[in-house]
Amino acid sequence: MRTSSHLVLLIALPLFSAGLLLLLGRIADKWGHLLATLVSASTFGIGVAEFIAMHSHTGANRAATQKIFEWISVGSFKVDASLLLDQLSICFVLLITGVGTLIHIYSIAYMDHDKDRRRFFAYLNLFIAAMLLLVLGDSYLNLYVGWEGVGLASYLLIGFWNQNPAYAVAAKKAFVANRVGDVGLSLAIMISFAQFGSVSFAGVKAGASHASPAALTAIGAMLLLAAAGKSAQFPLQSWLGDAMAGPTPVSALIHAATMVTAGVYLITRSNFIFDASSTARIMVVTVGTITLLFGAIVGTAKDDIKKALAASTMSQIGYMILATGLGPVGYAFAIMHLLTHGFFKAGMFLGAGSVMHGMDDEVNMRKYGGLAKFMPITAVTFGLGYLAILGVPPFAGFYSKDKIIETAFNQGGGKGIILGGAALLGAAITAFYMTRVVVLTFAGAKRWKDGAHPHESSVLMWGPMVVLAVGSIASGFLLSMGSSLVNWLQPVVNASHATGGDELMKPLVVSLLALGVVLLGAGFAITKYRSVPDVAPENVSVFTKIARKDLYQDDFNDAVLVKPGTTLTAGLVATDHNVIDGAVRLVGWVIAEVSDVLRKIQNGYVRTYALTMFAGVLIGAVILWVVTA
Amino acid sequence: MSFLVATIVLPLLGVLALAFAPRDNTRLIKLIALGTSVLTLIASLLMLTKYKFGVSGLQLVSSHSWFKYFNINFAIGIDGLALVLILLTTVLVPIVVVGGWNEAEGGRWSVKTFYMLILVLETFMVGVFAATDVFLFYVIFEAMLVPVYFLIGGYGRGDRAAAALKFLLYSLFGGLLMLAAVIAVFIISARQGVASFDVTALSHVKIGHTAQDWLFLGFFIAFAIKAPLFPFHTWLPSAAKSATPGTSILVLGVLDKVGTYGMIRFCLTLFPEATKTFAPYIIVLSLLSIIYGAFLAIGQKDLNSLIAFTSISHFGFIVLGIFALTSQGITGASLYMVNHGFSTAALFLVGGWMIERRKSTQIEDFGGLQRITPVMAWLFFIAGMSALALPGLSSFVSEFLVLLGTFTRYPAAAVIGTLGIILAALYVLLLVQRSLHGPLKEGNEGTHDLVLREKIAIAPVILALVLLGFYPKPAIHTINPMTSQVLSQVQVSDPSPLAGK
Amino acid sequence: MFTTPVLDYNLLAPILIVLGGALLGVLVEGFVARVYRARIQIIIALLTVAVALGWVIKIRALTSQAAAIDSVSTDGFGLFTQGSILALSFVALLFFTQNDHFAPQASALPGSIEESEAAESGVQMTEIYPLVLFAISGMLLFPVAHDLVTLFVALEVLSIPLYIITGLARRRRLLSQEAALKYFLLGAYSSAFFLFGGAFLYGFSGSLSLGVIRTAASNPASNHIFLLLGVLLVSVGLLFKVGAVPFHSWTPDVYQGAPTPVTGFMAACTKVAAFGAMFRIFIVGFGAVQNDWRPVFVAIAIVTMVGGAVAAISQRDVKRTLAYSSITHAGFLLAGVISLSKIGLTAMMFYLVAYGFATIGAFGIVTLVRDSTGEVNDLNRWAGLAKKSPGVATAFSLFLLSFGGIPLTAGFIAKFSIFTAAYASGNTSIVVVGVISSAIALFFYLRVVLIMFFKEPTDETVTVAVPSFLVGTGITICFVITLVLGVYPNLLFNLANTMTTLQP
Repeated sequence: MRTSSHLVLLIALPLFSAGLLLLLGRIADKWGHLLATLVSASTFGIGVAEFIAMHSHTGANRAATQKIFEWISVGSFKVDASLLLDQLSICFVLLITGVGTLIHIYSIAYMDHDKDRRRFFAYLNLFIAAMLLLVLGDSYLNLYVGWEGVGLASYLLIGFWNQNPAYAVAAKKAFVANRVGDVGLSLAIMISFAQFGSVSFAGVKAGASHASPAALTAIGAMLLLAAAGKSAQFPLQSWLGDAMAGPTPVSALIHAATMVTAGVYLITRSNFIFDASSTARIMVVTVGTITLLFGAIVGTAKDDIKKALAASTMSQIGYMILATGLGPVGYAFAIMHLLTHGFFKAGMFLGAGSVMHGMDDEVNMRKYGGLAKFMPITAVTFGLGYLAILGVPPFAGFYSKDKIIETAFNQGGGKGIILGGAALLGAAITAFYMTRVVVLTFAGAKRWKDGAHPHESSVLMWGPMVVLAVGSIASGFLLSMGSSLVNWLQPVVNASHATGGDELMKPLVVSLLALGVVLLGAGFAITKYRSVPDVAPENVSVFTKIARKDLYQDDFNDAVLVKPGTTLTAGLVATDHNVIDGAVRLVGWVIAEVSDVLRKIQNGYVRTYALTMFAGVLIGAVILWVVTA
Repeated sequence: MSFLVATIVLPLLGVLALAFAPRDNTRLIKLIALGTSVLTLIASLLMLTKYKFGVSGLQLVSSHSWFKYFNINFAIGIDGLALVLILLTTVLVPIVVVGGWNEAEGGRWSVKTFYMLILVLETFMVGVFAATDVFLFYVIFEAMLVPVYFLIGGYGRGDRAAAALKFLLYSLFGGLLMLAAVIAVFIISARQGVASFDVTALSHVKIGHTAQDWLFLGFFIAFAIKAPLFPFHTWLPSAAKSATPGTSILVLGVLDKVGTYGMIRFCLTLFPEATKTFAPYIIVLSLLSIIYGAFLAIGQKDLNSLIAFTSISHFGFIVLGIFALTSQGITGASLYMVNHGFSTAALFLVGGWMIERRKSTQIEDFGGLQRITPVMAWLFFIAGMSALALPGLSSFVSEFLVLLGTFTRYPAAAVIGTLGIILAALYVLLLVQRSLHGPLKEGNEGTHDLVLREKIAIAPVILALVLLGFYPKPAIHTINPMTSQVLSQVQVSDPSPLAGK
Repeated sequence: MFTTPVLDYNLLAPILIVLGGALLGVLVEGFVARVYRARIQIIIALLTVAVALGWVIKIRALTSQAAAIDSVSTDGFGLFTQGSILALSFVALLFFTQNDHFAPQASALPGSIEESEAAESGVQMTEIYPLVLFAISGMLLFPVAHDLVTLFVALEVLSIPLYIITGLARRRRLLSQEAALKYFLLGAYSSAFFLFGGAFLYGFSGSLSLGVIRTAASNPASNHIFLLLGVLLVSVGLLFKVGAVPFHSWTPDVYQGAPTPVTGFMAACTKVAAFGAMFRIFIVGFGAVQNDWRPVFVAIAIVTMVGGAVAAISQRDVKRTLAYSSITHAGFLLAGVISLSKIGLTAMMFYLVAYGFATIGAFGIVTLVRDSTGEVNDLNRWAGLAKKSPGVATAFSLFLLSFGGIPLTAGFIAKFSIFTAAYASGNTSIVVVGVISSAIALFFYLRVVLIMFFKEPTDETVTVAVPSFLVGTGITICFVITLVLGVYPNLLFNLANTMTTLQP
């Protein structure tokens, strides 16, 4: 494996510029956003250069490492701050820096009116740095640093307008939910160290073959918990919807394209663990399946365009997680869907942002309608993304999503039926809610007040949208052509010994099936939303009610965690004062009381004193007698 | 005269100088105090030139007979742990002086007295870490309470007198238990013909099982009260509520470390058997502290007592690491002592400034500070982040090492300990949200951002938090030899990986 | 066959000098005009004590049994005790010199015309000085007495003058006289026990000499009932003097009623003398049967330590508080007696000196806190004393911290060494109880500090009198000694250690 000397730049540059913008303060207001964008672009440049460099090498030398310095070394626990760029991480580097740069550009215009734009860009750069560390770290601990780093950036960006209490709460919720996941990751690290005496990917991979199934399952479960936290998977999904409080570019970058997919990266990266433990794989597919349906269902009832897209993100990542649980070949498809999703979902979010921009930050789709003719570019780019996510050939989603459904079916047996069926159902629902979004937003009659003046956004905004739209068209084809991505990732996830399994259905059949259900879903949506009331109707089916309430996820958390927690806290506060401190006070009180009694005995009468003395003599005599006898 | 002696003596010279300074020229007084503490800092840094890193055992030792009859010596010397803690002390004192430039004004007595007390305290704090004679350690351990008593009672707020008395009685009670143990250890050593208070000599004395158990408890309870560990903690919140920020920084940042320092230096090395006997129970206590402290922190309405309870949770981690008896645990715990010193300093400094401006300690009185005082808000946020051990800040390294070191021996304990990580996120973010976010609460309108002096005061703290987070190697490298020595004295070794190759 | 008694005046000199001084003082009362008496008496008293002290130092190296036949033993321990008694008395006397502590005319009825006339004419009872000297001579004899008769004589010689001067307070005279009467009655009562015990011992051994009693006691064949009864009853007399529970009841009342300088003198010097005597008797006389009487003493020590500390908590009067504190210290000192070892002896001697100076200093300061009618002993009225007079408050705090055994004060070294002695002699229970009672005691010492420093002044009428030169000197001496012995104990401790020789 070769060493590269400038991987560190990928992290150092954005980190430095983030620090600079924050330290300089208002001075940098004029040019801060430009610097940040430049830095982001340059990281993309480095990424591309590295990508090309990788092609110039073969075999093991494709991957590159760089040791920066010795970080922690205690006893047998040694962790260096060093980076690893291999076939897997480069995919992410390109996605992060590429989409990241586009969104930087977009934000220049989008955040134009905000007086804190500099701070916003500082956070964006901070995020880029952390996310790159996450995917470049060569050990679980380095990954963990990036892992929490992106959590911090996400927190800061969700709460960017934290003068609004609701947004501040949303930020906090996201951070805490992520922390729960982080605990999973840290525990996974501890188990790995206790098992293998190492926490580097290489070390754990080497040891995995010797470890007991129980240990492997434990590590796998903990990693899955971590993934669930970061990627808004069941049961830690509840924060993602609220996270839409952040500015829309953030939702596009962090909460659609990159950060939320970190869980998929983690599991793929840890393929040697999951390959070795079927139990862990079962958990993974279960979580993935539940989430992909959960998200899809929630998506059907959202009137807030961003929340609808967020629910869809959740569901799509569910697909990816499902894929990672489907054995070696699944990893590649998961990553493929991750990349294509990165394009079309980011594109649609930017589209949504553009719509909001034109509609005075209105997010309620029931207040939209017929916007296509007012913002054509947005409509077209959004539409392309829409086709991609539906998986209509030849758009990106078609290649990635159908592969997942197909692999799911190919698990064979009941398992295959269930997983494949769920995936297929998900596709149908996806088609429904996405169509609903498009119809409500761009088609039909205008429902907005006359005050609003919808208009197309500036080139700075639609430029990136167009680029992403192109991605939504082409990326799938490119990645799967001659199964290029699968081969590319081969050294990392060694999908070779992936038996295609007893093919339940030919790929073509699956595709046709998928297409069928998609058309069904879409058609149903179109017929259902021919006319839309601009306020959500109350007389709706119980399913809609449930969906609107996010399947009661928040009510559940409140009832099970928040309320008991608050009661417990109050109880403990009282305990501390009354019981613990009370015990101390009690001792003092007792002594004081005894002292008072003694004071009363000291009554000032000589006869009493004489008597006590005599009593003393007698007692002394008794003791003497007892001792000597 | 070695630099160590200089570090101990210099503050006293400062006290002398202050004694002759005119009472009403507070500026001069503060400058003298600052100058002294800076000189002390320099002296302590010069120790590094003489100190041999990566070597175990005591260095820069010197010893003078003090109380002949009992073979008590004024014996000092440092190992890695003592070194880092002394540096923590000498770094924090000037920061306290600069950061709390005006905090002595509202006091019951003169500014002069305040800084004399502070400097006396500094001598004691350095001395207590340097003492290698158990008797000397005990004397300083007790004597250093007196200046703190007057600092809290004389310059604090609220019910300061009661808080000061509570603090003193708690500590003295623990001290008396320890005194009994110290005497017993000495007698036992005398019966074996050693008759010494020298910690190294005593570590070779053979002590019977039951005796070890009792003596261990004698020392441990004293240190547990100092640390403070649940359920001996109730003095801390009231003290922190009443004390000035500077005093709180010195008490929580340095003084309480004497407890955890003592556990390593005395409990482990003098009573290895008892250590192993009690470790499981103590681990339970430390877990209780972690969880309990965190929950109470969440429940606090007063900013200072919230910080106090977070410290109780953190001390739980430190003790957990110590009694996990693994190299990661003990090194992590030692590092934790330093990091906690800095992060509490940051919290109390910024918190103190917020309180000073708002004239209230109630969290609910703040709100929306992010908008009008971005710098102060940011620093408070960073301090909070280091309190929840965010990777990249120093406390992460130590907290993770502690949990890792615990896991290899007591997996269940480590798992429970990780709960603390989640709760930490809650108490920090709730505090941040209530005090910095949301719309501006009325009463905060005029609040002005940090002035240059305050920025200068906090800068080194933040720097330390970040540097030790990214590059903890120097500190770890200094502490490691101590750890391996202690572990060999306790005669335990790290568990080896389970999955045999 | 009768041999003429041989008296070694060189060895008896200290006692004789003090007696001489006392007689001289009596003559002065007779022949010198009132106006000069006070000044002359002060000079005589101080000089006498100083000279006697000098003589003790002169003969410090001598040991002999022949000072007065077999009844006075001269040895390191005896001389050290005498020396400390004299040194403490000297400082204590400095506080007598404020003329307004004593009744102008004790014979006059409280509140009567004669009294007020006496007061106006500015006369004062200068007899106290010879009385104090008589008491001191008794104290000097007590710890060196080697037979029970001499012991009893010494006991009475030191007690009777104290009974008298206890009743001489200038203010609250009824309280003072009541105290004197109580002290006298209970003192007589305890003396009776002492005598009774002596009788038993004579019956047991056929002799009053400690030496003979020892030899008899070390013979296991002999019937020990009389011996043990004797031991018990004799110790009652001694325990009464040191104020050990349950023979302590007089202490608070007497300490409160007596003129404050007298209280200081009693508290310090009587303890030294009584503990000196106790240690000698129990080692030299009853050492052989220590296993029989030790449990009793352990029990007494324990109840004394705890009882004193607990009872003190609820006190509001500074003098009563200090009285209970002295009871607690008696308990600690008993730990030294019980250890019956060289180190125990050394520790006890150090403790007595350290405690003595702190006590005298503390009571000396009590004399300074006043309002228009005289001393203010109500602690609540001491609030904010530090504001009025930081120096005095600091000094008093130092003495309290020394009582509490906080490091860097003499009291800590004393407590440490006596606990060490107790532990070394295997009396762990004493150490444990001692530690706990110290913790309790700390509470009220620190409460006083808190009242002085952290409470706002409530009562403006309370003032701190500017001490006269002599009084100032006295307080300074006590302050310095308490501090120096705490920081550098070698000086006294090594001296005490070299002077632990005991004549068999």
